[in-house]
Amino acid sequence: MPDLEQQLSELAAAIDWPATPHLKVVIPDRAHRSWLSLPARRGGSGWGRGLAVAVAALLIVALALVAYPPSRGAIAHWVNLHLNIERVEHPPTPSTLPSGTLGDQLGLGLPYTLSDAERLVDWRITVPATLGQPDAVYVKHPPTLGEVTLVYARAPDIPVSGQTGVSVLVTEARGRVNETYFQKIVGPNTTIEEVSVGGRAGYWISGHPHDFIFTDADGQPFFDSMRLATNTLVFDRDGTIVRIEADTNKERAIEIALSLQ
Amino acid sequence: MEGRPADDSELIARALRGDAAAYEEIVQRYQQIAFRTAYAVTGSAADAEDAAQEGFVKAFRALERFRPGAELRPWLLRIVGNEARNKIRSTGRRHQLELRLTEGFRPGDAAPSPEAVAVASDERRRLLAMVNALSEDDRLVITSRYFLELSGEETAAALGIPEGTVKSRLSRALGRLRARVEEAASA
Repeated sequence: MPDLEQQLSELAAAIDWPATPHLKVVIPDRAHRSWLSLPARRGGSGWGRGLAVAVAALLIVALALVAYPPSRGAIAHWVNLHLNIERVEHPPTPSTLPSGTLGDQLGLGLPYTLSDAERLVDWRITVPATLGQPDAVYVKHPPTLGEVTLVYARAPDIPVSGQTGVSVLVTEARGRVNETYFQKIVGPNTTIEEVSVGGRAGYWISGHPHDFIFTDADGQPFFDSMRLATNTLVFDRDGTIVRIEADTNKERAIEIALSLQ
Repeated sequence: MEGRPADDSELIARALRGDAAAYEEIVQRYQQIAFRTAYAVTGSAADAEDAAQEGFVKAFRALERFRPGAELRPWLLRIVGNEARNKIRSTGRRHQLELRLTEGFRPGDAAPSPEAVAVASDERRRLLAMVNALSEDDRLVITSRYFLELSGEETAAALGIPEGTVKSRLSRALGRLRARVEEAASA
């Protein structure tokens, strides 16, 4: 009998691996690497250049510190004093947002530009005209055909969630709404009401829903979270499930839904 | 340059200069091993596809930190392996990896008799079934080293463990597999 390791090596050629898919790798927009980052600045003007000069100066001081041991004490004293003064004069503004990207915190996937997100999914992503262009766009897999989330940091008349620092999330995924599924998982303080969104069947889930299930493109139940745990409008838009999460009323949510284009 | 495939360092340099086609070539070059490695970890083709895809995106973002002169493949497999494990954690589900043999596999180069093929195939199926029945750690290290044909360094990177642990884990896994094979042979 051949050596066990030899037998294993011979098996390699016979393993029936699943077919390797053609990976669609769209490079994320660097301007959206972090949550709601400012538009990328080009060129070295203004504060950017000033900061670069300051960093370079600090680097030179640090090198001098290493190169000339006798001056180390004096330079260190100066650097320390300088940094202390800077801290007092410019205290950082406390951020209301949790650290890390929103995508990581809420499991939204990776950030993309809207046009790159379009290339990653097989449906046309709709954007609510009443809210305008989203502040950030995320795509995640699974579900199989992907799920797109449009993030709005601020929206007229809609409060910002203290937990996430955003006002509205619009989530789109291919699949079907299955009321039986999500009726079973809503909490006791949550109600579900059937609504019409421009003639399309939908549901207004009010209260504090945390979980959501829908039937994905493969016909399998897909478990997902309500990220804001607040009122949510769910409806089927031609085979795409649209969810609008916002701390608002039914009428406003439907108005947002009707403006999707 | 024409007629000669670009080497990895050349592709990385071009990708860092903003040449998307160069990074696409890197993806093409390594997507099969990345996907299969992720499949070995997750046991699910869908999760493996997601992990490989997200791994390549993250690798692109980290490309500036890639050490010049280092091997690209283990570096990519480390990222994809991490993504695969994250996928298991985030979805809360782990699929049992069930490797199978391709239909009509004919071991050996010569044209053996149908009976010989059947016997050899049966032996291989039994051996693969025994590998499938091993513990997850044992199965993963054997799959990585023998079926994916990863080096020790690549296996360590893909599984997120030190190379020394790969050696000791592989040795113990082979010992347990050998015991099962011998037990089956004597039964």
